[in-house]
Amino acid sequence: MRLLLVEDHVPLADELLAGLTRQGYAVDWLADGRDAAYQGATEPYDLIILDLGLPGKPGLEVLQEWRSNGLSTPVLILTARGSWAERIEGLKAGADDYLTKPFHPEELQLRIQSLLRRAHGLANQPQLEAAGLQLDESRQSVQHKGEDVQLTAAEFRLLRYFMLHPGQLLSKSHLAEHLYDGESERDSNVIEVHVNHLRRKLGREIIETRRGQGYRFTGAVP
Amino acid sequence: MRSIQQRLSFGLISVLLVAGLLLAQSSLWLFDRSLRGYLQTTLQDEAQALLGAFERGPAGVQLDERRLSAAYKRPYSGLYFRIDFADQTWRSRSLWDRDLPRAQHVGLQRELGDGPQGQSWLVLRADYQRFGQQIEIQVARDYTPILNSFRQVQKVGLGLGLAALVLILLLQRVIVSRALRPLEMTRQQLKQLQQGQRNQLDQNVPLELEPLVAQINHLLSHTEETLKRSRNALGNLGHALKTPLAVLVSLASREELKRIPDLHDSLNQQLKQIEQRIARELGRAKLAGEVLPGAHFDCANELPGLFATLTMIHGRHLQLDWHAPGQLRLPWDREDVLELLGNVLDNACKWADSRVQLSVSSSADGYTLCIDDDGPGIEPERRQDVLSRGSRLDEQVAGHGLGLGIVRDIVDAWGGTLELSDSALDGLCVQINLPAKRA
Repeated sequence: MRLLLVEDHVPLADELLAGLTRQGYAVDWLADGRDAAYQGATEPYDLIILDLGLPGKPGLEVLQEWRSNGLSTPVLILTARGSWAERIEGLKAGADDYLTKPFHPEELQLRIQSLLRRAHGLANQPQLEAAGLQLDESRQSVQHKGEDVQLTAAEFRLLRYFMLHPGQLLSKSHLAEHLYDGESERDSNVIEVHVNHLRRKLGREIIETRRGQGYRFTGAVP
Repeated sequence: MRSIQQRLSFGLISVLLVAGLLLAQSSLWLFDRSLRGYLQTTLQDEAQALLGAFERGPAGVQLDERRLSAAYKRPYSGLYFRIDFADQTWRSRSLWDRDLPRAQHVGLQRELGDGPQGQSWLVLRADYQRFGQQIEIQVARDYTPILNSFRQVQKVGLGLGLAALVLILLLQRVIVSRALRPLEMTRQQLKQLQQGQRNQLDQNVPLELEPLVAQINHLLSHTEETLKRSRNALGNLGHALKTPLAVLVSLASREELKRIPDLHDSLNQQLKQIEQRIARELGRAKLAGEVLPGAHFDCANELPGLFATLTMIHGRHLQLDWHAPGQLRLPWDREDVLELLGNVLDNACKWADSRVQLSVSSSADGYTLCIDDDGPGIEPERRQDVLSRGSRLDEQVAGHGLGLGIVRDIVDAWGGTLELSDSALDGLCVQINLPAKRA
């Protein structure tokens, strides 16, 4: 999952970056509204966390610009302005959720998880479930045939992405774009390695390889 | 404080009374003087005529009866004479048994003499030298008819003056109330101002009122600006504090701190209190008070947005409904009403199992907002507790705490009441009664 964090308060952004990275998200951070308006529209983000009081361009304007250009990425507004009138305004501008500062980091984590699930048509699930697998996002482990299977951070990220896109054909470059932030080196061989690790832990059939096209999460549990 | 009308009436009456009495009295005096002057000449003629009637008869000097005016012969006719010689005195027959006292000096007497039958005499003395004798002739004329007519004139004049005074007072009232109409208009505008139906006074007023209206307008804009500035300052401060507070909350929940539970707990508790305090004070500072009708809450316009937001926050498993008469507008600031409804509904959504319902109704006395949910509800004996807890920050529990505190602030500011009761949906019913604005 690749997220865009737009927040101009550096200490808060640092905290959020650290927390989100721990939870296995690839996060790009921007502090200026104008940069965000451009980068949010051009890079393939899975979710955007947007502060409203931004230098350069107000967050609401940035959001309106994205929506009028047809960007459908879920947007979570993170703001100090918590009145109901402002919440309604944020929703009207096209936000998918609204979290007011100060907030508990776990609250943000839950909101992000449920927003991602909702965006992929998996609403109302306390845990991410797909094809007989239950992903525990807080412990970064997966329930497989009634057994807890521990995952490394990289495996967890990859599996979460697969589970949110069950049955879809995902190319290696697509996976690389969504699993790593803009700063890190993208090596498609690394993805191959992690896919093999997942197959070893959860069974070969769980991820199908389409030669020259990419991977498909079938979830077929033998 | 006496009214301007009264002051003007009082002033006008005293000026008119003094001036009118002075004028009437002095004109009477002048008339009396000129009349006496005229009568003096006729009395002098009378004296001359008497002198002309002297003749030398067999028994010395005597008056020729035939040449005397008939008025001298009829008793108390109003015309009298007395002629004094060195050794004798003649009196006119008209004097009858009365005496015409000898005058002290020649010419018209200043004082009126007393006569019979209530007569007042105007007396003239003229001295002559005739037939080798000193002759003093005194002629008197009754002045009473003229005095009577003077009195008559005084009475009529007084009546006329009083009537004029009443007429003038009535006219003055009309004129004053007409002249003060701009003042009344300004007063009406001030009232509208207080009710929030306008935010400035009309500048188009008479010259005398202009400085006052300009000053009030200036004061208004100044007050508004100050209020806005302090509100903004408070808002900015609150919001500016929230971001660092978010950092602190995030830091406090780090793994390292979780290993020291005491520290972690008390940190979290203090941070929670700061957060609630800020939210509460921000809510209070934001309460806009009276606003222009343009900023009022239009139910049909605002409620769909609010309910969409609630659906977004609480998920789609809740069935949210609202009922409000079409075109209903609540005469308060839309942001404040949204804050009120948002908080109560948010609370209801947190506790509801499947349904939350809002109904808004208006009556002659005011407006009623009912928020029903089908959640667990609150036992009757704990309801008062929940209501009062909202006002005490240190005892708050998440859920029925802060949200209700802000709601109470808003309802109190509007002079309304907040009641909890059993809902028809088996949960809690929050009923908010808001008084109609006085017209």
